Amino acid sequence: MKLSELKAALFYARRDIVKNKKVFIFITAAIIFATANIIIVNGFMDGIANDLVSNSIETSIGHLNIYPGEDDRFIEGVGFKEKKLSSMDEVVAFSSRLYASGTLSFRDKATAVNIIALDATNEKRVTNLLEKLDRGNTLEANDRDILISFRLAEDMGADAGDDVQVVFENGASQTYRIKGITHTGSYELDVNTVFMAKAEANSRLGFDDKASIILVKLTDKDIAGEKKQVMMDELGVFKVKTWWEEVEHIVKSAGAWSEFSNIVSAVGLVASAISVGVVIHINVVHKRRQIGIMKAIGASNSFIFTVFIFEAGLFGIIGVVGGDLLGYYGTRYFETHPFWEPITRTWFRARFYPYLLYNASIVSFGITILAGIYPAIKARRINIIKAIWG
Amino acid sequence: MKIIETRELKKTYTLGKVEVNALNGVNALVEEGEFVAIMGPSGSGKSTFLNMVGMLDVPTSGEIYLNGTEITKMEEHARVEYRLRNIGFVFQFFNLFMELTAIENVMFPMMLSGHPFYKERAEELLESVGLKSRINHLPSELSGGEQQRVTIARALANQPKLLLTDEPTANLDTKATHEIMELFRRLNEEKHQTIIMVTHNPELGAKTDRIIHFRDGKVVK
Repeated sequence: MKLSELKAALFYARRDIVKNKKVFIFITAAIIFATANIIIVNGFMDGIANDLVSNSIETSIGHLNIYPGEDDRFIEGVGFKEKKLSSMDEVVAFSSRLYASGTLSFRDKATAVNIIALDATNEKRVTNLLEKLDRGNTLEANDRDILISFRLAEDMGADAGDDVQVVFENGASQTYRIKGITHTGSYELDVNTVFMAKAEANSRLGFDDKASIILVKLTDKDIAGEKKQVMMDELGVFKVKTWWEEVEHIVKSAGAWSEFSNIVSAVGLVASAISVGVVIHINVVHKRRQIGIMKAIGASNSFIFTVFIFEAGLFGIIGVVGGDLLGYYGTRYFETHPFWEPITRTWFRARFYPYLLYNASIVSFGITILAGIYPAIKARRINIIKAIWG
Repeated sequence: MKIIETRELKKTYTLGKVEVNALNGVNALVEEGEFVAIMGPSGSGKSTFLNMVGMLDVPTSGEIYLNGTEITKMEEHARVEYRLRNIGFVFQFFNLFMELTAIENVMFPMMLSGHPFYKERAEELLESVGLKSRINHLPSELSGGEQQRVTIARALANQPKLLLTDEPTANLDTKATHEIMELFRRLNEEKHQTIIMVTHNPELGAKTDRIIHFRDGKVVK
C-alpha cells in the first residue's frame, strides 16, 4: 500500500469512529477499564508477593539458611560453626534458632505451641523479628520472659504481663511472664508461637550446642547463590538454602494467583474487544453501499481492510493510553492506600512496575486489533456490484 | 479519438440454474469529449455495460478498450489504480460518505491518489459546482441536489478521462434535475469532459450529444 492510501485510511477511520460519540465513549471506556484492571490487579499481585517476600526476608530467614541433614533433627556443633561463620568475610551476622514444641496453659485454657528459641542479640543483627510487636516489650539477651504471637494471645485471652505455664516436649514445665505480643505478618510465626531465649530453652530441654536452623546474613543478598557451596564446604553441612529458595513457594503461589487474576482480567478485556469487533462489524454491515462506492472510486481491497483495522487500532490506542493512565494512577493510589486484610492482619498494597504498563498495553492493543480483523476481512470481501446495486 | 470501444462484449450471470445473458455481444464506440446517454428498458443491459466500461466488473468474453488500453485482462490492483485515476462515478443515490463533510468527500479520492494539493483542488471543485458556502457541511445537512453536486465534484477530483453516471437525477426534483444536467452540459462543453449517462428519461437523453439504445443485452440503435 502507498503512503497516500495509509494516510487516507487513517483519515477516514478517524472520522468514522467518532461519528457516533456515545458509542465511541462507551467502547473506549470499556477498553480503558479493562486495561486499567489488568494493571491494577497485577500491581496488587506483585505488591502482595513483594511484601510477603520482603517480610519473610526481614523476619523469618537469612540470606543463607543452614539446616540439619536429611536424617537429623538438629544441627550439631553449633559453637564451632558459629566460630567459622565469624571468621568469614562475607558474613555480617548469624542467628541460631532452636525449634521445639510444647503446651501453653493460661487459666483454664491450654494449647499446643511451637517454641522458637533464639539469641536476641544475634537475631536482631539478622532479622527484625523481635521488633514486630503488637504491644509490650521485646526480648533481650538472656531474658527469662517470653513473647507470644498475637493469635495465640487472642485464643488464650492472655496479654503482656500475664503469667503462663509452658510444658516443653520433654515434659519440663515452667511458668513465664509474657513480655510482649508479636505480630510479624508471617502466618507461620503468627499462629501459636512462643519466643524465648535460647539459653532458657536449652536449660529446660537439656540441649547443648544444637540448633534447628542457622540464619546467616551476608554483605549482599545477591551473593547468596555463589556462597552457598562455600558455606557447605567450610561448615561441613549438607543442607543450605538461599533466601531465594526459601521464598520460592511464595513467588510461585503469587504467580499462580497472578495467572488466575490474569484470566479474570482477560475475560473483561475480551468482552471489551468483542464490543469493538461488534461495533466495527455493524459499521461494515451498515456501510455496504458506501464501501462499494469507495471501491468504485478507486479504493483497493487492502485499503478497505486497513480502514477497519485502523478503526480497531484507534479504539485500541485511545483505550490503552486511557487505561495506562488510569492503571498507573490507580496502582499508585493503592500503593499509598492499602487494604487491610483481616485474616492475615496485614496490609495489602499494590506496587507499580513499568512492565505492568508494557504488558497491559501490548495485550489490550493486540486483542483490540484482533477483534477488528474479522469485520475488516468481511469489508474487503464486499462485492462492488452487489454493494452498489443491491 | 476513441475513448471507449467494446468488441463483442458478453456478460452472463448464473441465477441458480438459469443463465442470464445481460450483455449479448455489445459493440459500442464513444469518442473523447462526447456526452452520451444510454437508454433502454429495465434489464436491457445498460447498467451492466456501465459496470464493464467502469471496470467494476469483468465481462464473460469480448474486449474493452479504454483510451486505447485493453482493460479486461488487467490485474485487480491495476484495475483499481486505473479506475482511481481515469474514471469518475456518479450513482443514483446515497453516494456520499456520510461521516465526511462535503470538502472531505471531494478530497478523499485525491488523498487516495496522493494528489499534493487536494484541499485546494477540492475547494475549487466545490466552487465550480456552486457549493463554496457549503464545503464544511455534512451530507445530511445538504439537499439531494446539493449532495449530487458534491458527488460530481468528487467524481472529477482526479481529472478522469471518463465520467460515468447511472440515473444521476432519479431522486431529484425538477429544479435540481435541471441544475445537474446544466452542470454536466457545462463540464462537457467547457472542459470537454466525456460523460456517459444511463437514464430512463427521454427528456434527459435528448439533452445529450447522442443516445445509445440497449435492448436484450445488445445495442440496437
